[in-house]
Amino acid sequence: MTSDFTQQLVTLLGPDEVQATDGYAVDGMVPHAVARPADRQGVAELLCWASANGVTVFPRGGGVFTALGNLPSRVDVALDLSRLNRVLDYQPADLTVTAEAGITLESLRRELAQGDKYVPLEAPLPHRATVGGILAAGYSGPMRYSYGLPRDWLIGIGVAGTDGVETKAGGRVVKNVTGYDLNKLYTNSLGTLGIIVETTFKLAPVPDTWAGMTAAFPSISTAVAACRSLVSQVYAPLGLQVVTPCLAGKLGLDLPVDARAVALGFVAGRPRAVARRLYESARLLGESGAIHVETVAETTARNLLGSLTDLPWSDTDPPYLALKITLPPRNAGTLVESLGGDGDGAGAWDLIADPGFGAVQLLRWAAGNTGAVDASAIMADIGAVRHAAANLGGSTVVETCPPEVKAGMDVWEGAAGPAELAIMRRIKDKFDPAGILNPGRFVGGL
Amino acid sequence: MQQSPFIQGLMDIVGPEYVICHPEDLLVYEYDGSVDRSMPRAVALPENADQVSRILALAYQAGVPVAGRGSGTGLSGGALAAPGGIQIAFTRMNHILEVDTENRTATIEPGVINLDLDTHVRKFGMRYAPDPSSQKACSLGGNIAENAGGPHCLAYGATTNHVLGMDVALEDGTQVYLGSTAREVPGYDLRGVFVGSEGTFGIATRITVRLLPLPETVKTFMGVFPDIDSACSAVSAVIGHGIVPAALEMIDALSIRAVQNVTDAGYPDDAGAVLLIELEGLWEEVDEVSREVESALWETGASDVRVAEEDSERERLWLGRKTAFGAFGTIAPNYYLVDGVVPRTRLTQVLRKVSEVSERYGIIIANVFHAGDGNLHPCMLFDEREPGVKDRAMAGAAELMEYCVEMGGSLSGEHGIGLEKKQFMPLVYTEEDLARMKLVRDAFAPANHLNPGKIFPDGEEYEPTPQRTPGQVDPGWYV
Repeated sequence: MTSDFTQQLVTLLGPDEVQATDGYAVDGMVPHAVARPADRQGVAELLCWASANGVTVFPRGGGVFTALGNLPSRVDVALDLSRLNRVLDYQPADLTVTAEAGITLESLRRELAQGDKYVPLEAPLPHRATVGGILAAGYSGPMRYSYGLPRDWLIGIGVAGTDGVETKAGGRVVKNVTGYDLNKLYTNSLGTLGIIVETTFKLAPVPDTWAGMTAAFPSISTAVAACRSLVSQVYAPLGLQVVTPCLAGKLGLDLPVDARAVALGFVAGRPRAVARRLYESARLLGESGAIHVETVAETTARNLLGSLTDLPWSDTDPPYLALKITLPPRNAGTLVESLGGDGDGAGAWDLIADPGFGAVQLLRWAAGNTGAVDASAIMADIGAVRHAAANLGGSTVVETCPPEVKAGMDVWEGAAGPAELAIMRRIKDKFDPAGILNPGRFVGGL
Repeated sequence: MQQSPFIQGLMDIVGPEYVICHPEDLLVYEYDGSVDRSMPRAVALPENADQVSRILALAYQAGVPVAGRGSGTGLSGGALAAPGGIQIAFTRMNHILEVDTENRTATIEPGVINLDLDTHVRKFGMRYAPDPSSQKACSLGGNIAENAGGPHCLAYGATTNHVLGMDVALEDGTQVYLGSTAREVPGYDLRGVFVGSEGTFGIATRITVRLLPLPETVKTFMGVFPDIDSACSAVSAVIGHGIVPAALEMIDALSIRAVQNVTDAGYPDDAGAVLLIELEGLWEEVDEVSREVESALWETGASDVRVAEEDSERERLWLGRKTAFGAFGTIAPNYYLVDGVVPRTRLTQVLRKVSEVSERYGIIIANVFHAGDGNLHPCMLFDEREPGVKDRAMAGAAELMEYCVEMGGSLSGEHGIGLEKKQFMPLVYTEEDLARMKLVRDAFAPANHLNPGKIFPDGEEYEPTPQRTPGQVDPGWYV
């Protein structure tokens, strides 16, 4: 079977565009073959062939978010887009860039820096994460409170459909209402509607300077409450996160012994404004119960931000369980308190909370040599979190979990109501009638 | 009076006093802010979401197409009824239901006027950022349908960046909630694709929007320039300095005259063009950036730079900008507004084309527009009583739209495609691109019962109401 698929791909695309399957497993399932087309023509040909033959296709950029989604029903071909990695049109004076979807965030940032511009996307492992992958996963990072989401920066898109026809939406201008805004539809659709091959973003000027701060707190609930009052100030940092001590350790921060939580603030912009944001934020956090506040300079701040972004998706020290809850920001504190630990810690979880945006990531790392996973205990814990989040107007996505746990659950459970899901299903059926793109992985089994 | 069973059905739902069906009463509903007209069969004015659903279900069963209508200020025919169709007007659904200061959201009915929401939430130290020039009159439901913009979209994005969740009634009356009151929700972004769908996917009946905190400091500059070219280079210089102001607007000489005819906005009468630039943020940021903006303006040939720091001065400058379209009435009774958008570095080129088109077609064109994001608004001014002039204006507008697309731009930055731009869609999109878009419409509205015939070039043609006796009314009687 394996050799059969590979043989067909070699005939279709040529030997240079077919890859060994090592490292391409999706939730432990190894694809029969891997296509790595050199251009968009190859993507189109692959999709036509797959549609005609009912072959399932798993798009992949840098493989950072491959774990996201329900267990696939069948993994036939992985479609590696990393060779579509060119910047096609960079117009610094217009603040726009058009690039192929397989370009890594790091490469794109490097090219943009040459014209002093910046795309406010964030992703873990930016040397691997591709812009197409970031869009498909709808991934946002610790600065999301002020940067917004990938959907807010994407202005144009080229997508190869399952019929092999590439279509576009949006354009290369920063403001555009010409036709339906399919940019929004493709973003955050986990590759289930088409293969993103081209992207156009609006850009921001590179900030003059960066800085950061850390504030240690005696409890999680004090930290979250202090941050909630900070985000309502005009001088608030542009990114503000609360983490538990174990994570602070992973980030290399030294904490006072009685610290149970750390707030991390990040600021960027003009030097005088950055200085004032730091100074006033530090003062407010100090008055709001912080036991120790420190500011960090440019390089350290940026490294800290990078490490924090990487943490939940680390390739060297990955958590075995990762949940992401989004909820109305006011409820972040209540959710954290509901996790147990008497507001002191987060119970059995490590946590990254974004009290400005309304997001909480719950993480667990294996302690030492653990034996078999207690799937039912994990399921019960996840169930309790889901229940608490739902009561607070939030939704929970299980981003990472052991395959034996995933087998028994819908990682997106409760994401959409039945009427909304019915529309999503009609969209999926029209865009991917044969059901070949990432089948079964997305919300509602789309 | 004996009504048709359908009209009687509408009356049973909303009450007879809230169904408009006499031709003379319907006159005001046959047009919006665009050039097209279409007489609806009836207009229903519901007071709640349940009534909206029941009207939709009734119309669906009767095969009567439906258009939503807010204030009728739209500039692309979005609120016009399809032939034989009705309008649901949201005049009565105009309540601000909740302001949540902690989550920074407001929940409103679709008929709430944009400026009323903004004014209300400012009491709580917040604002609703999208500010179309018609914000005194336009409704938020209409803003959502068209994904409306405004001067401050340069920094804060258009309506789509500010809508979180919506109750929506679909074509058959089914209700569905799209989005969330959280900033992000897993699944296809149906609220995102709904915003800007020009009333073809469904009708929003209850909307939660995001609010922003008021900035610490606001400073507005007026740069006075001898001509359009130098004003365009100032735009490039500001953006090129790595400055993205909160707003960056251009007003040309003709528009300055029109504005000064109706209000004293403080624009110099002899200027070739004026730029309005607004900076917002922390005091330190605004202070530092203002010096750079000022020197960019002087370096590109400004003859004067004035700074408004007091609210009253700022309001005066903005009043001029926001009354410009009304003020064009002092020059000609009719206008047609082109909404093309181009990469901002192409502004000089495109504006030269505008003046060339103006001369060639013999149509006065005024320019008052969102220079910072390349969104032009060449405004073709004419008197439709003059035979052939409207056709000339439309032909000139078509040429400008084509030119915008040629320059790497697009047909519409913030007004929507609707009726009068739909035939230009093939300039931007292939048949396959448009087919993909229709798939989404078919998923929301399989019977294409809402606002049929708009957006797509192969859509049903509207038969406009014949012009009423053009040329037979003395000049001066038209308003």
